Amino acid sequence: MQISDRVSGGVLVVLGSLAAWGGSRLPAVPGQDVGPAAFPMLIGSGLIGCGVLIALGIGRSFEAPEEPKAPHPWWYGLRALVPFALLLFYMLASEPLGFLLTAAVIVFAAALALGARLSLAVPLALVAPPLMHLAFYKLLRVPLPEGLLAAPW
Amino acid sequence: MTELLEGARLVAAPDVLIAILASAIYGLVVGSLPGLSATMATALLVPVTFWLSPIAAIATIITASAMAIFSGDIPGCLLRIPGTPASAAYTNEAYALTRKGQAELALGAGLWFSAIGGIVGTLSLVLMAPLLAEVALSFSTYEYFWLAFLGLMCATLVARSSPIKAIASMLLGLLIACIGMENPAGTPRFTFGVPDLLGGIEVIPALVGVFAVSEVMRAMVTAEPPKLPRRKFGSILANQWTLTKKYQWPMWRGNVIGIIIGVLPGAGADMAAWVSYATSKKFSKEPEKFGTGHPEGLVEASASNNASLASGWVPSLLFGIPGDTITAIAIGVLYMKGLNPGPTLFTENARSMYALYIIFILANIIMIPLGIMMIRMASLVLRAPRAGIMPLILLLCAVGSFATGNNLFAVLLVGLFGILGFVMERNGYPVAALVLGIVMGSMVEQNFITSLIKSDGDVMPFIERPVSSVLAALTFGALLWPLGVWIWNRTQGRRLPASGAAE
Repeated sequence: MQISDRVSGGVLVVLGSLAAWGGSRLPAVPGQDVGPAAFPMLIGSGLIGCGVLIALGIGRSFEAPEEPKAPHPWWYGLRALVPFALLLFYMLASEPLGFLLTAAVIVFAAALALGARLSLAVPLALVAPPLMHLAFYKLLRVPLPEGLLAAPW
Repeated sequence: MTELLEGARLVAAPDVLIAILASAIYGLVVGSLPGLSATMATALLVPVTFWLSPIAAIATIITASAMAIFSGDIPGCLLRIPGTPASAAYTNEAYALTRKGQAELALGAGLWFSAIGGIVGTLSLVLMAPLLAEVALSFSTYEYFWLAFLGLMCATLVARSSPIKAIASMLLGLLIACIGMENPAGTPRFTFGVPDLLGGIEVIPALVGVFAVSEVMRAMVTAEPPKLPRRKFGSILANQWTLTKKYQWPMWRGNVIGIIIGVLPGAGADMAAWVSYATSKKFSKEPEKFGTGHPEGLVEASASNNASLASGWVPSLLFGIPGDTITAIAIGVLYMKGLNPGPTLFTENARSMYALYIIFILANIIMIPLGIMMIRMASLVLRAPRAGIMPLILLLCAVGSFATGNNLFAVLLVGLFGILGFVMERNGYPVAALVLGIVMGSMVEQNFITSLIKSDGDVMPFIERPVSSVLAALTFGALLWPLGVWIWNRTQGRRLPASGAAE
């Protein structure tokens, strides 16, 4: 996910402009000079300034030089999205499937993605969710969803 | 005096003692695992603190963070991988000692001087906080605005990165804090019609995402750290007393620097360690030995980062302005438990404050025996496969963020902040500045807008009042500092190493 400073600076400029524009459209409080619009507009203009400076490469000399990385195929970086996908899965599946099944899938998939052997991933996926359920449901009283498979306690 | 006894009684409650012991072990283990930082250990504890009594909740935060900062030294010393960013300053030094066969000396110095630093830092907290509370009672929104702004500027200085990127990160955090209707006018802003955004972005999902999920993401694309060979350790504390006497002066200097940096809002243990290591080298009689396995810098920096941890609570307790990312979490817990930060905390709730001091001292004392046990078991703990730990961390992130509000939207937020943190870190945008921006956004805005309304849009009152003029000068000093360094480098005609930005 290495992005050149020109791109990230540009993104900041766009974001800053959107913030300032969005802020300026907020309704003012009658009888007050400064209202909800002031702060987003201030931040927005700050972001635009920073974005321009970053895109121009000012301040680079403060950054630590990057370490050389081993070459990887292009899809290698996409592996970083696995945790996000699993969290998304939790959000969508924990209600219908229940906590135990969802958690087991997440642990199993994450372990495999990190290169665990089946002899580690399977026991982990079987043991960790019930323990976590016990701790959060029983001790901390978090209402974890039951779904298809209810815990025996 | 009765209040001190009351405080001791509060700490002696069984649930508090159990909480201290359990969070000590938790902090030691998590801090020692490379990639799992002290901030992350503390952030993942927050859902647990919901169900604890106020004192027990504070105790878990204090103990876990102190332990994690020490135990970050362990993998740094044995594997040359700092367990927490606060250990990064002296990792090479400690590893050099290990290569010379003096691992016990390096680990012992980390442990012994961490405990001393923690205790000295606590004493400074005990002495300073009530004195400053008197001053703070006369503060108005102008002073609070400058304090919060100064904290944000310090957060950008700490980052060992481009100051412009740090400021951009901070502004991004402030922008995220604008979301919702928690602003002086109560107008919904940037909610895009999503009802879940009306209440604003919760700090805990943001923290967990930025510090924990992004770490799991990083683990996906980096090679696993090398395994620690099994080894036996000799006596850990054997030579520490000799070191204490020999390097007494650097030790005190480390403590003092740590305390000063901790008190500064926004700057924390990482910066304390870097600055102390650099000063130690500068004032040492034998600077040429630094980097080759010389304990002097280790002594000073180890004391410094733990001292800053305690004094970092001064701005947090007095003004609700976090000293670093750990106290940013602590402030959230304080509010949740009805111990709202502010100068009146020291007058109206003195026994809770005494309890807090006692917990600090206690945590730093039990650090020594527990730390020795941890060092002896380090080869066992550090052998735990990353592919087994990271999935559990991910699951904890999901459950923990869900638990903060029984709301599945928080799980999505955690994931999104994970991506944001990962991408920012990869491109040199410091995430600590982002987090402090999110935490302090509404406070900065509230005080800024209120002050402007009070003064009828006039900026003069911001700099006319005596305390606020000093704070304003400090803030602009922090803002212009990188420019000064840059010009100095130009005129000197040579480039300083990257650490120049942090000094």
